[in-house]
Amino acid sequence: MNDAELVQQIINGNSNAFRFLVAKHQRLVLHVVGRIVQRQEDVEDICQEVFMKVYSKIGKFRGDAKLSTWIARIAYNTSISHIRKEDRGEHSYDENPKLVAAETDELAAHQPVEKEEVTRYLMQKIEELPVQYRTVLTLFHLEEFSYREIEEITGMPEGTIKSYLSRARNILKEKLEKLAVTEKTNIFTEYA
Amino acid sequence: MLDNGKYNENNKWLVDALKSEPGFVLPDNFADRMAEKMSRKFAWGQYLREFGVYVGVVAGILVILGVVQIFLVGADWKDWLDFVTKNLPVVIGVSFLSIFILFTDRVLLRYFLHRSKIDTI
Repeated sequence: MNDAELVQQIINGNSNAFRFLVAKHQRLVLHVVGRIVQRQEDVEDICQEVFMKVYSKIGKFRGDAKLSTWIARIAYNTSISHIRKEDRGEHSYDENPKLVAAETDELAAHQPVEKEEVTRYLMQKIEELPVQYRTVLTLFHLEEFSYREIEEITGMPEGTIKSYLSRARNILKEKLEKLAVTEKTNIFTEYA
Repeated sequence: MLDNGKYNENNKWLVDALKSEPGFVLPDNFADRMAEKMSRKFAWGQYLREFGVYVGVVAGILVILGVVQIFLVGADWKDWLDFVTKNLPVVIGVSFLSIFILFTDRVLLRYFLHRSKIDTI
């Protein structure tokens, strides 16, 4: 069943078609909502809100974009509205988000030699990035959307998306290099 | 060479982390619950539309009857207006009661029946 047929089935009130749509896109919605909202207790409610908005607006879906892009846009807008409402401006959503300040790297003080530990450390660092960086990283790497699609979802210009991606990757690389240096130092300290 | 190898390893770790699932979860029955919600919302909208059609049809019939009475039978519309203005509370009461009964029958009862059917599945 293609997107147009699925949409038509849902408009006709076929709940199995809607179940299929939710099952197919819930991972995408969960990733977008989770990475922006970052609170497990809110994630389920917001995902529900996203899918109910999808249902309410499905008649307006014209098929110009992919259904997944359209759903991701609803998820992005709903999540941003949610954190705006919750934090009343504490988060930064401006064009140039503040870079993450040098914070204490708990793991860097230890000896993270296992691959899983490094992955976990990096994932924690991803969560600490500004919301725009997290969003573009998630859409580009995890969901494998193109720059054009990310532009459709977030409304950010392509240049900004590329710049955020590059800056976010550089921040993470720096963290990783810092970690590697600390690890080397720790090993030397241990064997001294 | 050594630095290049380290760079590649760092990049691999980074790509692995970027492609790793964030630790957020949804319940296993999430899609089922959403389908139920959608089904309830669709039913409510459908019953409301049908109610609107019923009200429209009944109002249309009354208008046609009125027009026929005035233009074909020659009834005086001023008598009707007098009757309505003199018995305004009764007319409003009967209209409200009729609409309420129709709404309960065509929307509320059907909606709750639909909900109970979904809940028992």
